[in-house]
Amino acid sequence: MGRLLDNYHYAVAAVLFCTGFYSVIMRPNIIKKIIGLNIMETSVFLLLVSLGWKEGGIAPIHAGGAEAASMVNPLPQALILTGIVVAVSTTAVALSLVILLYRQYGTLDVDRLMREEELEVPAAGPEGGEG
Amino acid sequence: MKKVVSLCFIGALGVLLLMLVSSMPRMGDPGSPTNRRVVDRYLEKAEEETGTENVITGVILNYRGYDTMGEVTVIFTGLAAVLAVLGREKRGRVYAYPDRSPVRSSIIVRSAAGFLLPFIALFSLYTVLHGEISPGGGFQGGAVMAAGMFLFAAAFGLWKAGRTVPPRLRFAVEGAAPITFFLVGVAGLLGGGEFLAYMLPRVSAGLQPALRTWLTLLVEGGIGAGGAMIFISVLMALAREEVGGGQAA
Repeated sequence: MGRLLDNYHYAVAAVLFCTGFYSVIMRPNIIKKIIGLNIMETSVFLLLVSLGWKEGGIAPIHAGGAEAASMVNPLPQALILTGIVVAVSTTAVALSLVILLYRQYGTLDVDRLMREEELEVPAAGPEGGEG
Repeated sequence: MKKVVSLCFIGALGVLLLMLVSSMPRMGDPGSPTNRRVVDRYLEKAEEETGTENVITGVILNYRGYDTMGEVTVIFTGLAAVLAVLGREKRGRVYAYPDRSPVRSSIIVRSAAGFLLPFIALFSLYTVLHGEISPGGGFQGGAVMAAGMFLFAAAFGLWKAGRTVPPRLRFAVEGAAPITFFLVGVAGLLGGGEFLAYMLPRVSAGLQPALRTWLTLLVEGGIGAGGAMIFISVLMALAREEVGGGQAA
């Protein structure tokens, strides 16, 4: 347990991950599940960016004669930019599917959706499917 | 019962992760494994090899250029998936929840948004163009621009936002990021160079550094414009609700 306080960024990332995971598996509302997914993604970003940090490090930009030795690791930051873009894309696709679900069934509650699916799919089949 | 099991599972996961954290190398240690391998080379050589003072921009656009090209394709594919699910708005028929809300946004919100918008647009341009020598870049600038348009849509309604950034413009610019990437990459191929090397082999050697900077800037601009338009199009697709929906699928 020695470095738990030194590595507080990682510890916060772990706690955030569990918070998001809680939201994903415990909340019945789909929007809240997606928010939980985003919290989990953010925790991973925090972990990776913190991995590249150095004590007393500066931004990895050479302008103004900054010294290369004191710069933080640029690789995690570049990777996280990719991660953020992918997270935004998946969130957009997930939200569009949620909108379609809501139009079809009028609810975002997973428990109700699972029940309603059995009732309404035959009726919604022929003339449903707007948008 | 189900809840208790789930909570126990999450708690066990949290304890496991915290134990891992406590056995990881100390945060900020310059000698930790993440900071030891390839980093020095990137930090020392990036400026002369990529022509950008911001090492992150150099890594994203140059060292990991293929990766970023795949990344811009990912957000383009994301937009394509959203549009495949929800459909593109018809011309002149954009209706939305914000527009039909019984509570109009107040004069304070509207004038504040109108006052802020030019500055947001200017800042996004600065973020794209100055991204080589300061924190920033194409994705960031595009996101700022899109956030400005989201603010506009929230204050003035989606219909007006759809008029301000007309569909014709969005359709044309949405693919800008992959297209500029591809064109700059192929431009490097012509005359026997390498794909995405940010140089044109036919140009004299003295001009190459300036050319590299301009090509990088071009790709950044393409990413910024394309990203902003993609985000705005996603907003238009998600927030839209056509009146009497269903008959014109």
